[in-house]
Parts: sequence; structure tokens; C-alpha cells
Amino acid sequence: MWIYLGKRFVLMLFTLLLFQIITYLLMDAQPGDVADLLTMNPDIPPGEVQRLRQELGLDRPPVERMINWIANFYRGNLGVSFTEYPRTVSDIIKERLPRTIVLFVTANVVAFWTGFVTGKILAWKRGTALEYGSTIVGVTLYTIFLPWFALMMIWLFAVTLDWFPPGKFIDPMKWLTAEVSTNYIFLRIIYTTLAALVFIFLCFLLSNRIPRRFRFPLRLGSVVLAIAGVLLYWATSGYADLAWDIVSHLVLPVGTLTIYAYAGTMLLMRTTMLETLREDYILTAKAKGLPDKMVRDKHAARNALLPVWTGLVFSIVGSVGGGVITETVFSWPGIGLTLLRASTAEDIPLAMGVLTILGILTLVSHLIVDIGYAFLDPRIRYA
Amino acid sequence: MTNNDKVLEVKNLTMHYMTRKGPVYAIDDVSFYVRRGESIGLVGESGCGKTSVAISLMKLLPDNAEIINGEILINGHDLVPLSDAEVRKFRWRHISMVFQAAMNAMNPVYTVEEQILEAMRLHRPEMSDKEMDEKIDHLFELVGLDPAFKSQYPHQYSGGMRQRAIIAMALSCDPDIIIADEPTTALDVIVQDQLLQKVRDIQRQLNMAMIYISHDIAVIAEVSERVGVMYAGQLAEMASTEAIFHHPIHPYTMGLMSAFPSIVGPKTELVQLPGEPPDLLNPPPGCRFHPRCPYATDICREKPPEFKEHAENHYAACWHPGGES
Amino acid sequence: MTAEAQVVQVPLWRVRLGLFAKAMRTNWALFTENPIGLLGLGVIIFFGLFALCHPILIATDKVTFGLVDKPIWDPVIYDPVSGFDMEIAFHPSPPSATHLLGTDPLGRDVLSQLMFSTRYEFALGLIAAIVTMTIATTIGAVSAYFGGITDMILMRIVNLVMMVPTLPILIVLGAMMEIGMLELAIIIGLLSGFSGTAIVVKSQALTVKVRPYIEAARIAGGGHFHIIFKHMMPNLMPIALLYMMFIVNGAIAYEAVLSFFGLTEIEMSWGLMINTTQYFGYLLRFDTWWLLFPASAAISLLCAAFYLVGRALDEVVNPRLRKR
Repeated sequence: MWIYLGKRFVLMLFTLLLFQIITYLLMDAQPGDVADLLTMNPDIPPGEVQRLRQELGLDRPPVERMINWIANFYRGNLGVSFTEYPRTVSDIIKERLPRTIVLFVTANVVAFWTGFVTGKILAWKRGTALEYGSTIVGVTLYTIFLPWFALMMIWLFAVTLDWFPPGKFIDPMKWLTAEVSTNYIFLRIIYTTLAALVFIFLCFLLSNRIPRRFRFPLRLGSVVLAIAGVLLYWATSGYADLAWDIVSHLVLPVGTLTIYAYAGTMLLMRTTMLETLREDYILTAKAKGLPDKMVRDKHAARNALLPVWTGLVFSIVGSVGGGVITETVFSWPGIGLTLLRASTAEDIPLAMGVLTILGILTLVSHLIVDIGYAFLDPRIRYA
Repeated sequence: MTNNDKVLEVKNLTMHYMTRKGPVYAIDDVSFYVRRGESIGLVGESGCGKTSVAISLMKLLPDNAEIINGEILINGHDLVPLSDAEVRKFRWRHISMVFQAAMNAMNPVYTVEEQILEAMRLHRPEMSDKEMDEKIDHLFELVGLDPAFKSQYPHQYSGGMRQRAIIAMALSCDPDIIIADEPTTALDVIVQDQLLQKVRDIQRQLNMAMIYISHDIAVIAEVSERVGVMYAGQLAEMASTEAIFHHPIHPYTMGLMSAFPSIVGPKTELVQLPGEPPDLLNPPPGCRFHPRCPYATDICREKPPEFKEHAENHYAACWHPGGES
Repeated sequence: MTAEAQVVQVPLWRVRLGLFAKAMRTNWALFTENPIGLLGLGVIIFFGLFALCHPILIATDKVTFGLVDKPIWDPVIYDPVSGFDMEIAFHPSPPSATHLLGTDPLGRDVLSQLMFSTRYEFALGLIAAIVTMTIATTIGAVSAYFGGITDMILMRIVNLVMMVPTLPILIVLGAMMEIGMLELAIIIGLLSGFSGTAIVVKSQALTVKVRPYIEAARIAGGGHFHIIFKHMMPNLMPIALLYMMFIVNGAIAYEAVLSFFGLTEIEMSWGLMINTTQYFGYLLRFDTWWLLFPASAAISLLCAAFYLVGRALDEVVNPRLRKR
């Protein structure tokens, strides 16, 4: 198994390098160069343009410049943004990346889990009205035009029902008198949520080792305790309203992307389950007299999980794109929106940096899926 | 010793599959019984209904299949009218099965041990963990597997090992009767022979009833005391192995026996059965074998013959038993 | 009872045609078993007709040729890119008798725009699908056939392309370069669909490769490429066709998003209609529904249609999914 993982990791590094090279070439292919942009002012004497070029190292051969850029990247120097001068690109990315990661990870995890469960249940109930109905819903959600879907979500929840704000990261009014930055609160929200989740996870792991009678109470208790803990923390921190402001702006974008990503997994799971249910070992399981739920969950679904998990690989690319669209429609300032704005404004350093980061995000997600698969399939684990 | 205690009794079982073109009568009025500790064989061509009988006995039918008549009595309890939830209590505990082409009969993501344990946990909850563990070791030794392998995954086993594991699994809840559906077909001949010996030994050792299903007459002869010959979804003949081989009554059986060349004795001409088994969507009227039967007469074409006793404990469904006109 | 069997000489092409027709009939029966396939096909046909309507309605060249006196839709008013209705005071205007779906902020008829763009959507989908299919099936078949190092290299390439985040790259490309319809179709064809398709085709090709007639062809002296293209390809076509549907789905969606962002140089498309809406600030206003809804619905419906046809084809190609 480790050899398999090792190979995937090396492949990822290689792909990353290739990706960076391509990114660089992409940017470099644009006619004119940075110096021209900076010196659009006709009052600057021509000699100055040449001097600027030399200073910026733009007259060096392309390959050298490319290697320079890549090397700089790994030293953490991504350049300075044009549009948000004088902030450095890495600074901007550091500010915005956690937001996109929250969006991406939450949406994908929740979507996968719900898609898996509903797909499994639906396949079992083949031929019923429920199955047809949910297939229609699934197909609709999968093929709907995402910007429109996002707008519909805004219309329904923000405009008509007025449950959540229609966009943006925060409501600036609430933060006028705040002593802390939005990122401070945002990161604290992430930490507390993670702590709560880790706690629940550990309790669940523990619950598998104790007698059956206590399992459900322990699990329920851990969830309640975790939620109470988080709420208590924020209630006593004095920043509760600021935290809520951020959270309420989070709900719609995350919800939209989750629902959008959910459809793919659900449809795939349903199809895969139908195929899995025809396998011989399902007949064996039934012959053993196992109850339906056990056959469905322990035998069929656990096997159907494998191809569906692999299917994640294809949906990651779609998710990243979906994230960009969601951030744009909601004006939610994550990496995706930054990419769009930087590209349209021709802020090359920022665009390159963000594109590379998005590439890394995709690659790392891939690697995680590959690692996950190795653990899920005993045929890989014990080759 | 076998006694008259019938572990399994099948009476007038009729089952059909619903297809796009109409119902296919895969099993038509089949009746037989198996006594405690007895081993019977069920033989016939592909598509004659023997596997259908096997899965019907455990009521493991697919959605488009339906038992429309008959009784299946396990230790006196009729399974046919029972709901799926009720039938589950019988499965594996009283009647279990070793599947055909069992290469994929085990779930690839769980250890072999776990797959055996789950059945035991369900049907023998009174056993402690330690007892179950010992039982699995014992079963492994019985089928000729090293118990150390039990915590491995099916893909780590060879074909022959997997088949043995399946047999161990089928025995795990001490069923009264076990159905072996062509368990050795997918294996090479040497392993096949070993396994066959094993199966025979186990059956005798545990005094367990067995139905051995195969299209290979030679194999059936090795393991069964009595043999049932199936044709086109019906039982053509049923008698002791000796009687079937040396004194077949039904022309189809006679054809089968002649088709099996003996390596000893004088050379006899190979009797061929012309034609093919009938399409079960539209079976021929009267006796289903009549289009291929050299002794067929008008009555054969019109009325289906009754499955009745023609000699002691020797049943056949034929108007001209033994070929007499 | 003897009868002289008569050998009838049937020309080979007749036999092949007969077999083909029979295969089509069975496949059609399987396809229609699931109503969603028909639904998808119906929607696609509807849009096809929809696209055809536009030149008929706006038939300016027929006027020149003297075939009609006056087109139903006067191009001055109804041209999707440059039309303008001066009789209506304020644009965008709600649906009315003259403008069934109203007008956009620039005074152009929405229905006309919708119809006009349809042809581009089909063209885009088709080109992207063909590009992807050609590359993916070739890679899949060659990879399966030759195995070894060729396989390894090709699969690395496929992996690389798979890991590329398509939309971000499209955004950057669209912003930096001027991308028209054709270029976009080719880029989408190269980037988005082909890794998944290539992998699936390769699996299928692997099962085909071990079939006896491939061995026979090799013994008969068939060269590598002859075997790949003449023997393996026909067996890969069904699954390739299936994935084509999904690629068209993706292509239409990507173009719509890109046009929505304003990053394409296409004169009129559904995505561009929405971009116009946004540009003039009508995006979040839901009283001007005719600006947002028809275009979005069209995009979603056509994508869904191709997806449904793909799913129905899946049941034809993959026998394990069938109900009976």
C-alpha cells in the first residue's frame, strides 16, 4: 500500500511542477509585458522603460525567468499584486485561502456523505415513485446552471424569506467598531468547529469499544456537548454577534455549493449500488439470512463506496469551478472570486499565484482521495 | 444411518420467471424429498431448472420470479407462505448453500472470518465469542484450510481455498441440509477431485443432508446415494444412484447414461440425443421430452405423464418407461 | 425426409445492413425502456427545431431573393445582436404581443436571442465532443493495445489533464486572450472531458483486446493500427457515444459560465444574455424575470437533455443496469 501511495505522491509533485510551468507559459504568452503595463504613461522617457525592464529582470531568457518564478514561489515570494498594491500576493492569498478551503471542504464532505446515504437508500427502493422523483431532482440539480441556481437561492432565502444576507462576507456596519479583524474571528470559528468535530469523532471511535447499550447515549451526548461547548465559547467571548455575522454570510454559499455537489454523488451512488446489488456476494449475504438493512449497508453500500469514492476524483475539478462561481455570485471574497477579479483586471502576479494555489488545492484533494481509497479497499491495502 | 425422518420435502413446486415476453415456467410440478443424513444429486443440462430449484428452496428468488404453487417443507415447516422476514430464520441455520462459481461469493472488503462470524452472530447468539472463534478454527480444519488464514481477505486466497472457505461458511451454523450448486465447476480437475472427496467426507462425518447439483453425471455418482434427473423444469426420474445408472427408466436418462462412455468393458455405440432442450416460454404440449424421444407416441404428445413409482423407490414421469412401447 | 437446402447468395453489404438494422432496433427498444431517454431526446429535438426557426423567422436573404415579401421578424427590430425596438419606451420591457419574452436592456428581443444562440450551443457541444472523443478513444485504445511504456506515458498524461482545474484555467485564458466560439470549443474539448472518457475507453478496450477475434486478426497478419481502428474501435463506439453526451453537457455549461463572466468573444449566447443582464444591474432584480429566466432555463434544459440521453444510453451499453 505504501508503495502505491508513494507513487501517487511523487506523481502529484510532478504534476504540480508541470502545472506551474504551464501557468507561467500561459501568462507569459500574453502580448506585451509587465513593464509596458507599468509604463503606460507616455511621459516616461523610452530609456526608462528599458531600464525598468532590466531592473525587473524581464530581459532575461524566458526559461530563466520561469525557473526564477517557480523558485520564488516555493520561497513564499509570490510577487506583489497590481490591483491591491502594495499588498503582496502571498498576503492576499493567506487572507482569502482559508475561506475558500472552508467552503470547499464543507461542501464536498457534506455533499459526499448525504449523496452516499441517499443514493444507497434510493437504489434499494428501485421502481418506486420516490426513486423516480429523486432521480429527477438529482438530474435537475446536477445539470442546472449554477449561477442561476445560486441566484435562485438568494432570491428564496435572502430576498423572499430574509433568513440570510444576500452576499458578501460581512455586513460592514457591524464591524465599524470592532477591535479585531474579520479573519481573526473567522479563524476562531474554524478552530472551534474543528475542535468540536474532533471531539465528536473521538467519542464515536471510543463508542465502538464499549458495550452496545451505551453507544447511542455516548454518541448523542458527545454531539450535544460539542455544540454546547462551541456556543458557550462564543457567548462568553464577547464577539458573538460578529461571529454570527460571518456565519450567517457563510450559510448560503456553502449551502448552494453543497446542494450542487450533492447531486453528482447521489446519482453515481444509485447507479453503482444497482450494479453492486447484482454481485454474487449479495446473494450469499441474503442466503445467510441477514436482514435487508444489513445486506444493503454492510455488504452492498460498502462495496459501492469504492467506485463512488473514485468518482470524487472527477467531481473535484467540478467543485473547484463550482466554488469559483459560487463565490462570484455571492460576492464572497475567497480565492475563486480573487482569481476572477485578478484575471479581468490583468493583475498578473495575483492571477498566477491564485491559479497555482487552486491547482495545488485540486492536486492535494486528489491525493487525499487516493489515500482514502487505499484505506478503503483491502485489495490495495493488502495487495 | 438414514431413517425416514425427512429433512426436506418438496411437493408440487411450481415457479415461474416473468420476462418481457411472458412467463417462463422454470420449475413445473417438482416433488422430491431428502432424508436426514442423506445425500442426493440433482442432474440435468444447463437451463433444466436445477439452479432454480436450489434458489427456490431458500426462497432467494429475484424480483421477477414467483412460486405459484407447491410446498417446501423444512423439518415439517412450509416455507412457501412465509414472509421474507420469517424465511430468514431458516436460512443458513437449517438450510444453507454453496454457490456455483463461488469466486465472488465472498465480499471482498471483509475478512473471511468476519463473513462467517456475521452469520453465526445472527443464528447462534448463544455462543460466546470464544466459542465462535474455536468453531471457525474447527471448520477450517474440517475443510482442509489452515485456520491462520481466517483473518485474511478473499482476494488473498486461491480459487480452491475460496471454495473451501465457502463450504466452511455454509457449515458454520450446523444446518440440517446443505445445497451444493456445482461447487467445483470453476476449478481445475485436480482440485475438483480433492474437494469432492472432502465434501463427501464432511457430509458423512456430520451426518448432514445434502443436495448436490451438477451437470456432470460422474461427479454426482461419486457423492450421491439417490439421484434426480431434471429436464426442462421437471423431474424426469428419481432413484438410487445404482438404479439410475444401471436400470434407467426415462428415455432421457437412458440417453444420458449412454452418452457417458465407459473406459472399461466393450465399446458401445454412443447414443446421441438429437435436438435441444425446449424453450420454456412455450414448452411443448404433453411430455416435454417428446420431440427428442425415440419412443414417443401420440399420448406422449398430448398428455404430460405423471411422476410416479415404477419400481421400488424408483420414480419416473414417462408413458413408456424403459423404452417399451 | 430430405429437402435440398438451397444456398442463396446474399451480398455482404445486405447482410451487414440487416444486422445493423436489427441492432438498432434492439438498442432503440432498450433505449426507450427508460422514459428519461425519450424525454432527453425530445428536448434536444425541440431545441434543434428551435434553432431552425430563427433563420426562417428572420429570413432577410429570402427577402433579397424575392421569396417572401417581408420576414415575420423585421431584422431591424429583432436582430439578436443589433436589433432595437423604438416603439417601446423603456428597455428592458416585459413580455408583450410583439416581444413574446420581452426585450433586454439594450432593446433586443429576448426570444430572438434565445433562438439565435441555440445553433452556437449545438455547434460548440458538437465540436468539443468530437475533439474529446477523437483524442480520448485513440489514447484509450492505443494505451490498452500496446500496454507497457506507451500505456504508462499516456496514462500519466491523462492523469495530468485530469488534475487541472478546468474553470480557473478557462477564466485566465478568457481574460488574457480573446476566445471565440471555435477556440473555446477546442479548449474545452482538450481540457475538460477527456481524462474520464480515456480511462473508461481504455477499460473497455482492455476487455476487447482479449477477445478471440483480435487474436485472429493478428494471426491473419493485421498490422497494429489496422487492428485498433478496424476491430477495436467499433466496439468502443457505444461507450464513446455515451460519454459524448456528457461532454456536450459540460461544454454548454462551461461556455455559459464563461460568457456570464464576460470572458468570451462570442457575439451572442445564452450565457452572454445573462452577462448583459448583470452588466446593466438587473441580475438581482427578480421583477425582470424574463432577462434571467429564459436563458438560464434554456442552458439547464439542454444540459439536462444531453445528460438524460447519456444516462439512457448507459442502460443500453451497460447490461447490468437493465431492469430485467
